[in-house]
Amino acid sequence: MIVANVHKFKVFLIECLHKGIMLILVFVIASVVIFTAVNLIPGDPVSLRLKNPDPTRVAAIRTELGLNKPLPHQYFYYVTSFVQGNWGKSLITGQKVREEISTYFPATIELALIALFLGVILGLGVTLSTQCFKSTLWRNTAFSLGALGLTVPIFWLGFMFIVVGSLWLGWFPSGGRFDFTLPVPQGSGFLIFDSLAAGRLDLLCVTYQYLALPVFCLSLYPAALVCNVLKTRFADPRLDTLIRALRAKGLSESRIWLIHILRLLSAPVITVIGTNFGTLLCGAVLTESVFSWPGMGRYLIEAVLNRDLFVIENGLLLIIILAFLIISTADLLAFRLNPTMKSLSD
Amino acid sequence: MSRLTTIFEYASWGALCLSLTGLLYTPYNPMEQDFRSLAFSSASSAHWFGIDGLGRDFGSRLWRGSGNTIAMALMALSLNFIIGLVLLSIEQRGPRVLQRIILLGIGVWVAVPVLLIGLVIMVFLKPSVVTLIIAVSLGNVPLVFRQLRILWIEQRNALYVLATETLGAGRRHLLLYTLWPNLRPDLMGLAKLILAISILELSGLAFLGLIGDPDFPELGAILKQNQSYLFRNPMLVAWPGLILSTLLFLVHLSKSRSY
Repeated sequence: MIVANVHKFKVFLIECLHKGIMLILVFVIASVVIFTAVNLIPGDPVSLRLKNPDPTRVAAIRTELGLNKPLPHQYFYYVTSFVQGNWGKSLITGQKVREEISTYFPATIELALIALFLGVILGLGVTLSTQCFKSTLWRNTAFSLGALGLTVPIFWLGFMFIVVGSLWLGWFPSGGRFDFTLPVPQGSGFLIFDSLAAGRLDLLCVTYQYLALPVFCLSLYPAALVCNVLKTRFADPRLDTLIRALRAKGLSESRIWLIHILRLLSAPVITVIGTNFGTLLCGAVLTESVFSWPGMGRYLIEAVLNRDLFVIENGLLLIIILAFLIISTADLLAFRLNPTMKSLSD
Repeated sequence: MSRLTTIFEYASWGALCLSLTGLLYTPYNPMEQDFRSLAFSSASSAHWFGIDGLGRDFGSRLWRGSGNTIAMALMALSLNFIIGLVLLSIEQRGPRVLQRIILLGIGVWVAVPVLLIGLVIMVFLKPSVVTLIIAVSLGNVPLVFRQLRILWIEQRNALYVLATETLGAGRRHLLLYTLWPNLRPDLMGLAKLILAISILELSGLAFLGLIGDPDFPELGAILKQNQSYLFRNPMLVAWPGLILSTLLFLVHLSKSRSY
């Protein structure tokens, strides 16, 4: 038993090491590609941003930003500055990129995490209910909803939610993150946490009101993913045998479903969510655009369209690294829960 | 293949062909503002989908838009398969070092979402239709490469292939008459999946404004153009999404194998 556990741990450690090497590779490749892309931009980004591109002024700014030095030196400076968190100033707003990212980043994370949580709960709830009620009609409806969640474009669904929830019912605001006639809770940037920390339940209600439509919209994709992956699992006849065996052992229904079956199903759910995190991130960006949500997606798109050099270099690299980290963590978690499963990199 | 899948198969082909005819014919010019006095008017016998905010026949714009979306997705799909097949050939036949590099590269590539790949490409290429097609096709290369590799290894090492090879079949015969008939259904399924993903991603990126020309008739871009009229005439936003969803739904349901 101990030998088996040590072996499992060793395999897990090797997998962690492999992910670590991949992370370094992702960082190097992504930084080189982004740096090359930024240096291939047609036209001078500094001249493009100045109302009066006086050559002396342009030269001064270029020297200040280190854009006159040789490319390898610039790349080295870019990588070390990124690691140190010294991300320069936005050419559009003149604000520090790090400060701007610390404002926009929590908004995206708050939206994505709550949507992910709700999506998994919805997917699990719907699939487990099809197993409990055993109604063919409900089963077909639930799985059709699962198929719809994967095919309906999220940005269109967002508009339909606005029409129903905001225009017809008038229950929710049509966009934005917070009612700015009220004092915005300060602190970490995560409004739910900040409202709770300030002990302001009224502000918490407002935060939830603004979150409701984008979160519902974004949660349908993970819910559909969970529905689809669990549908395949429940079709496996071995699951019925396991449930019968657990019942024969005398375990209660809640213990069977909530402890044994849920643990068994958590590995595929984590894997599918992890591997599709990229799509979820794209969904978050589209949702931000529909609901005028002040998040990283909109910030990066505007930076790319306006050729905002330092935001592109640091913001894009940060998001790519984070996406890889989240996908790898999900992969490792699924690997830990079910060591017989092959890793993503295989 | 079940009867329902066959029905969806025909329906999806019909929908794709009907959309593509929009590139050749539309009842009115989708770009000209010929009906400015009728702006925002609802559906009538002359204009089945009404008139948009700039006085253009909305039905014509939707038809041309769906044609453009499908054509762009087909181009992205072709480019995607070409890159995937080239990488697979190198990985299967090339030197060992290249094989390792390709597998490692795909492992890294798969971790980067399409949107971010699109944004990186947009940094040095101007936002345009071509840039969008390149971004979407490059974004889906890891998925195509992996599925093609699985299919190839599965079929290449199958007993019937080894048996035909033992009987003395040449490489051409093996590829055309033994492997291809067995690979074709799965390749069609994969192509449909990638087509559906490409349609969704293309319209998503176009909706974000990465298509360049804000007036270009593409379903995602049309949705973006009418975003400001959402409260005035919600149907201008509802129709492009409904058409997009129907196309995606049909393509998804007509797949004979799940990936």
